[in-house]
Amino acid sequence: MWARVVEFMLSCWLAASPFIFHHSDSARALWWNDYVTAICVGGASLLSYWRPTRHAHLFTAVVAIWLIGFGRFGLEGSPGPGMQNEIVVGLLLLMFALVPNHAAYPPRFWYSDSANSLSPKD
Amino acid sequence: MSASLKGYPAESADLEVRVSPYSYNPSAWSQRLPICVLAFIAFLLATHMGLYQWRLIGDVWDPAFGDQSKQVLDSDVAKKMHLWLGVPDAILGAIAYLGDAIFGLAGSTRRWQYRPWLVILFGIDVIPLGLVSGILVICQATIVGNWCFLCLVTALISLVLVVMAYDEVYVSLKYLALVWKKTKSRKIVWRALWGFPEKAADEAALEMVGTISGSISPDALSK
Repeated sequence: MWARVVEFMLSCWLAASPFIFHHSDSARALWWNDYVTAICVGGASLLSYWRPTRHAHLFTAVVAIWLIGFGRFGLEGSPGPGMQNEIVVGLLLLMFALVPNHAAYPPRFWYSDSANSLSPKD
Repeated sequence: MSASLKGYPAESADLEVRVSPYSYNPSAWSQRLPICVLAFIAFLLATHMGLYQWRLIGDVWDPAFGDQSKQVLDSDVAKKMHLWLGVPDAILGAIAYLGDAIFGLAGSTRRWQYRPWLVILFGIDVIPLGLVSGILVICQATIVGNWCFLCLVTALISLVLVVMAYDEVYVSLKYLALVWKKTKSRKIVWRALWGFPEKAADEAALEMVGTISGSISPDALSK
């Protein structure tokens, strides 16, 4: 679950980004984007710990693609520091989101008791 | 319970099994950890160059070519790439190297069978990165006309990573090819790619590990 921990840390970074990069008060879209994506990524990483929603981290990949697109094409011209932050965090999240939970173990279906087991391996 | 050469069930499977055509397990930690360490070193070097391109540091370390590194990192090619990509090219390289380390760390020591998609993704990250690094070094010499020490070091690491990662990617692709050869079923190959257990796919994997462990003779397989 180390990838989920990193995703949660990146969501905290996203939530702090408006203050770190000094988004202006008029850049409402940037403020909203950082907060909404931070909540989505943080929520998905936490939900991945609950077995019925163990694939929630795949939603982070969708958010990551949005972040990359928003950072690159959200404003005309060369992206500023705040937008470059979106691109870099998006790329990082895209990589971590693809790492399965309990990646060091074989997938759940490969265990003979996978149907009834409460094993966290998936 | 003694370890089985079969992948299913995972409780009794030998995860450290050697795989044909190699005399070792290409997914073993002893094979993957050096790749991750090397990729992480390249990540640090590329980050150093990226921080200079962001002007978060004022100088870039170069014991061999002096100020030529700065001229490469501030060249028109680098500026154009920054404009197209949105972030400095060195930062993109740093993220790609970090990806090598992340995808190298993920997965069990039998991931060539349990998660072929992850091994192929790892290969997609490592092999094109090596080629791009080579192209960028050629650009340095021919277009920019200057040399950058850290760029050369990271390019060399990229090529070493390609050599080191090749065996595992080859084994995963060979496994999928063998599943296709045995079943001619797209569905089974597709499920094997995404790591779902299939009896025919597990038998193909057994064939690959059995020939090297000696439990199945190559003569028997050819019959």
